[in-house]
Amino acid sequence: MKGSKMADSSESTLRQRSTTPTVAQPTETADDGDRKEVVTSVFTPAEQRQSLVVLLVLSLIAFGTRFYKIYEPDEVVFDEVHFGKFASYYIRGTYFFDVHPPLAKMMLGAMGYLIGYDGHFLFDNIGDSYISNNVPYIGLRALPASLGALTVPIIYMTMREAGYPILTCALAGFLVTFDNMLVTQTRLILLDSMLVFFMVCSIYSYVRFYKTRNNPFSIRWWFWLIATGVSIAMTTSVKMVGLFTVATIGVAVVWDLWVLLDIRRGLTMQEFMKHFWARAFGLILVPIIIYLFWFYVHFAVLTHSGPGDDFMSSEFQETLHGNSMADGLYIKYGDNITIRHKDTSVYLHSHPHNYPLRYDDGRISSAGQQVTGYEHADPNNIWHIASDDPNDPKTGQQVMHKDVIRLLHVATSSWLLTHDVASPTMSTNEEITTYSTDEDGSRFNETTFQIHLESGGDKLRTMASTFKLIHMDTKVAVWTHPQKLPEWGFEQQEVNGNKNILQKSVLWWSDNIEGKDAAEIEKEANKPVKKRNFFLKFAELQGKMFSHNAGLTGKHPYQSSPIEWPFLIKGISFWTHNDTRKQIYLIGNPIGMWVAVAGLAVIVGVTGADVLSRRRGFYPLNYDVHKRFYYATGFFFVGWALHYFPFFLMGRALFLHHYMPALVFSYMVLAAVHGFMFTEGVDGPISEPGPQVRPRRLKRAVVPVIAYGTAAILMAWHLGSFLFFAPLTYGTSAIDVPGLARRKLLSQWEFHFAK
Amino acid sequence: MYGSDIKRRNPAAQAGVPSGDDVMNNYAGSDPYGPNPLKPAFQQHQANLNNREHPSHHAPVWRQYSSNKYIRFYQENDHVLIPAFLTLLSFWTRFRDIKSSNYVVWDEFGSYYIKGDFYFDVHPPLGKILVGLSGALAGYDGTFSFDSGATYPDMGYGFMRIFNAFFGAVMVPFAYFTAQELNMSRTACIFAAVLVLCDNAYLTISRFILLDSMLLASTCFVLYCHTRFRNERHDPFSLDWWLWLAMTGVAIGLVSSVKLVGLFVTALVGLYTVEELWELFGDLSLPKTTYIKHWVARAACLIALPFSVYVASFALHFAILRNSGPGDAQMSSLFQAGLNGNQFSSNPLEVIYGSKVTIKNTGYGGGLLHSHVQTYPEGSGQQQVTCYHHKDTNNDWIIKRAHGESLDFEENQNLRDGDIVRLVHESTGRNLHSHRIKAPVTSSQWEVSGYGGDNTPDSNDEWILEIAEEQSSLPRNGILRSLTTTFRLRHRMLGCLLTAENVNLPQWGFRQIEVTCDQRNRTSSPHSIWNVEQHWNDKLPPGGQSQYKSRFWRDFWHLNVAMMTSNNALIPDPDKEDVLASNPSQWPLLAVGLRMCGWGDDMVKFYLLGNPIVWWFSTLSILVCGLSFGFYIIRRQRKLQDISPAEWDHFQYVGKTLVGGWFLHYLPFCIMGRVTYLHHYFPALYFSILLLSFMMDHFLQKPSISAKTRTIVWAVAFTAVVATFLFFWDISYGIKGPVDPQMRNRQWRAAWNIIDDHKPNTFI
Repeated sequence: MKGSKMADSSESTLRQRSTTPTVAQPTETADDGDRKEVVTSVFTPAEQRQSLVVLLVLSLIAFGTRFYKIYEPDEVVFDEVHFGKFASYYIRGTYFFDVHPPLAKMMLGAMGYLIGYDGHFLFDNIGDSYISNNVPYIGLRALPASLGALTVPIIYMTMREAGYPILTCALAGFLVTFDNMLVTQTRLILLDSMLVFFMVCSIYSYVRFYKTRNNPFSIRWWFWLIATGVSIAMTTSVKMVGLFTVATIGVAVVWDLWVLLDIRRGLTMQEFMKHFWARAFGLILVPIIIYLFWFYVHFAVLTHSGPGDDFMSSEFQETLHGNSMADGLYIKYGDNITIRHKDTSVYLHSHPHNYPLRYDDGRISSAGQQVTGYEHADPNNIWHIASDDPNDPKTGQQVMHKDVIRLLHVATSSWLLTHDVASPTMSTNEEITTYSTDEDGSRFNETTFQIHLESGGDKLRTMASTFKLIHMDTKVAVWTHPQKLPEWGFEQQEVNGNKNILQKSVLWWSDNIEGKDAAEIEKEANKPVKKRNFFLKFAELQGKMFSHNAGLTGKHPYQSSPIEWPFLIKGISFWTHNDTRKQIYLIGNPIGMWVAVAGLAVIVGVTGADVLSRRRGFYPLNYDVHKRFYYATGFFFVGWALHYFPFFLMGRALFLHHYMPALVFSYMVLAAVHGFMFTEGVDGPISEPGPQVRPRRLKRAVVPVIAYGTAAILMAWHLGSFLFFAPLTYGTSAIDVPGLARRKLLSQWEFHFAK
Repeated sequence: MYGSDIKRRNPAAQAGVPSGDDVMNNYAGSDPYGPNPLKPAFQQHQANLNNREHPSHHAPVWRQYSSNKYIRFYQENDHVLIPAFLTLLSFWTRFRDIKSSNYVVWDEFGSYYIKGDFYFDVHPPLGKILVGLSGALAGYDGTFSFDSGATYPDMGYGFMRIFNAFFGAVMVPFAYFTAQELNMSRTACIFAAVLVLCDNAYLTISRFILLDSMLLASTCFVLYCHTRFRNERHDPFSLDWWLWLAMTGVAIGLVSSVKLVGLFVTALVGLYTVEELWELFGDLSLPKTTYIKHWVARAACLIALPFSVYVASFALHFAILRNSGPGDAQMSSLFQAGLNGNQFSSNPLEVIYGSKVTIKNTGYGGGLLHSHVQTYPEGSGQQQVTCYHHKDTNNDWIIKRAHGESLDFEENQNLRDGDIVRLVHESTGRNLHSHRIKAPVTSSQWEVSGYGGDNTPDSNDEWILEIAEEQSSLPRNGILRSLTTTFRLRHRMLGCLLTAENVNLPQWGFRQIEVTCDQRNRTSSPHSIWNVEQHWNDKLPPGGQSQYKSRFWRDFWHLNVAMMTSNNALIPDPDKEDVLASNPSQWPLLAVGLRMCGWGDDMVKFYLLGNPIVWWFSTLSILVCGLSFGFYIIRRQRKLQDISPAEWDHFQYVGKTLVGGWFLHYLPFCIMGRVTYLHHYFPALYFSILLLSFMMDHFLQKPSISAKTRTIVWAVAFTAVVATFLFFWDISYGIKGPVDPQMRNRQWRAAWNIIDDHKPNTFI
């Protein structure tokens, strides 16, 4: 049966041979007397020195590309609007809301703090000058630029640790160094350079960890396990995209555990569980703690009320200094209050004008007094809270959740009511009107409303409480929407009774108690800021981040769909300067990216052909090459796929720069594919020897001249293409119209100043 | 070696002699009917396997037949009598009291194919054609409008409901026989059938004139054919093998022609086929020609055959709907011209200068070029130009020469490719105009507006006519003809193309479609291509239907794309929570029910609600199946074999098929943005019901389970299902009169609103 032979050969790829006698072991290699000492490192000291030189040179170039004229443009560029602003908020300590976790923004804030920036500037518009606003923007940009540059040596080292020859590693580093998108995106005050940096750290750490697998539970093994856990936590603390990195590592870990579980590995169940729990600790528990830690710091730093308040619940807002919620006054029966709609901020209003008996569309109204939503403060916005029991006015008692109340319009002395009459603009909703206290009480039942407190505790308060007003009789909620009434309603907003009381837009709040005694206000207002459990705050913020992120569905002229990214169909205009006709246009290096797509296609093709031929009992790839192809190149490919395909499931507006993490993987894959195509054999073994590992034979890759030649050609093209588009990448010099036309390789690239 | 534990139908069984499980088990491997000439070795093996699998509860080698002849008759024929009895029960439950409500419940329909007016709907036509057939059989004349809640006239709606309920009823025997094909024990087969029989939701939905019963029945049919085909796999290219492969194909065609949800079960069969071909690919002993034959057979039966059925249903659709109707606008102008009662066929054929025309966008869902006196609130502030789906006089344009060029009215001058023309909006006199001002929504393109008039010469009013395609067989000589010629309008000054890309304008534009001048020069985009729809010119003779023939394949394709587009457009309105809609996460644990009609005291009120026991435990079975799979696979990795390789193989197959079927019918709804309702879950439920039966059988067959335990567990299960079904009986058959407050005890979950109007929703 073919299956057993395949199982054996895959077993032999495990490279760790158990000496347990009860388990049959295939013994087709490595018995030629080489000793362990021979293979502790496959690379000679000379090679290691060479590698170090290449690493240093690449790093220098990378720093050069990221820091070249970093002082230009001296204006706010693209999303610096957001992230620069957030850094300022951290320095000021004012609360803000963003869909991304806090780490990268905190790093920017810390950087600003270190260089003495006081957070005075709010980065309000693209194109605002840093010079005239006196912002130390170079220092701020230096942080992402440094991390962007450091990505290059880490990629080089990752490839090196994964066993590729210097040429292949250098190619990967070179491709990443000279990609226009990575350069643009990492030399500005943005989050992606931190994201990519921590992401490559995760991959590097995991590769190192995997290489120590023959010495499980050794110090190095633990070190790299924890390092992987820390890195994925940091990645996720920058952007939730880090979860894709977690998934990449997760896939590798599950696969590794599956192999360890195999009885032929000779591990007892106790030993296996030890492996399992160690990974659960290092890759689940540690990351969660670190992730939460950054949120803890986030809340600890942002202690003052700020622009983010409105996103949060009133309980949350009460924990911030200077928040109006903290000043909420308890509302009692007999108070005169104003009531405002949460979504549209209008006041619940009425005035001595009636609905027209017959509307333009022929429908008929009750011709009762109008109730509308009005934007401005007005005596007609005042309502008196009365109890539903005429015999027990309850005066002075606090209004509680689920109390049934009546609202008296003070100026016209009439009761708020709703009834089964169609509203002016929506025939499905009920009309809301009032009737005078002079009339008899026969309509009493139409005037009772139940108050449903949705937030702010069990007692009705100003500012803090949001509530629904549910009509007792017909079970509709008092509601308003931005539809303006016609002239007869003074173009105020329509208020009606909505049958769908679950809708989120039926919430109201009270902003003021009229005529409240000043001393009383003083007494209630000087309450200290409340404390709230960290986990509650975290859960609330995390939930809001997710729901807001999913809600970013608005159209943006530069948004693109994931299918367009690898082919670089569309770029993003980051910044333009009309006088000098300079611009920054985010676009990847077309040569590199398009060739990278070809590299990905090669992986798919080779894998497909290999799987098919194996199924027919034919093994086209040499054993070592096969192993490297799947374990190393395949791992990077999985990284690419997991950082790319999930975007297809996202409903939010997406942009080209979301492809950055995947792009880095695709360059690593491309370099590896180049190695696969032009290098003969592989270097190995690369993993640490361990006590249970049999002696292994040393294998060396042969890098022929053609490999150098093709790599040189690819690098030259890549570099040429980089330089060609560099003016758009750096925005340091203007290009004339024909120049732009030459650079417009695809019609969808919408450069400015092209005419 | 795979799955030899498959029971074969014994040829003798068809002759009414005891067979099936009993034969296999009772004779302990010795086949009393002599060796089967077709596959004796297999049968022998099969019998051995069965014997091994059921070691305990079939102890007597010979079945003890009773001396009472009636009991003996039952014993000899129970493999027929049991399913027959279940089927009769099914018919009774589905048909009884079917006319209890004499008004239209939920989305009942039935007039489309009787009147023959062309209509548009997101679902393929087969199911609705069958409903039409039932109406015709009932003698219904198609004049009733089927407004939800309206009272039926005297029109045989009872027959139409029974016709539909028939499809719902046959699910029960399908479940029984499919379970049998999946090699479940007799008890488990009965259990599967009873689960379907006693699911209140299946009962309720089957009893109205809706597509769901047909969809469900044909889904069951696909699965049944598929399992039968699989059981033939050891004898490829035999007659039975071909028969059930072809039947699977036909079934796929039918299910997909009823609702596109059928594509999910098609995907299931597709995935199985891929796996099977992959297995065969690894079989090095198989001759290459045989392998190719496997491919060809499947391509023919599982692709060509279903596709033919699907296309045939559309051919029938076009053939029956000969009259112009409410769905015209979804189709191409040329197609509309071929409908009876449509004015287009009297269009003069060739368009000349001075003609009055309406211009339709050829993109899917494209409207007519429209303008009205309202102006753009931003940009140029000139008169709006939009695309609009309804027919009114603001769609009328007059084709004129460019400014300054006189028009000789005596001579009929044809419009030709490359002509420079001006389009004048008839009711306002404005010219179709574009300029370097950003369009209001698609800001990367130029705005198109109505501007000036005959006496305000402006070169921005000039458009170049580019003929795109001549769809008729008339000579392609660059002449613009109404309906049959498609063309582009290129702005002479800017070089951009007049385009409408289904982007809606805000409220100020009445949410009509934005028209822009597109600079990207995408000459092949259907959104930049237009045709003349209506054409009036007194000086020209009217054309005729013979001149306006559209091609079937073009119409077929067009209609299918339109169906997809409008299906995807059924997105929930974020500002409005639809009380009837529900979220997929609420289905598996039956967090919601659905009021199918008004809840007035004098109405018969139908509450669509599943049998909670069936729903909860079938969902649980998916979890249990997943956990058992994980358990077995981890134990196997440690070389601990809990079940034999054959059992493991069979467990994998059934698990993959039923869990896969469930996921394929469930997950897409979670991803889809469209509005979802409770009944979308019903096909998925069928798979989980079979899985529940299978998993119970799987565990109860374990040797460690005593016969007594087995009996008790089955008895409890049957009792729970039937008792719950009866408990919810009233709700399923309609609550007559005011809702009894006693019904409150039926509201097992927080959001069920049998009594109360508004209930908070739970998400699971």
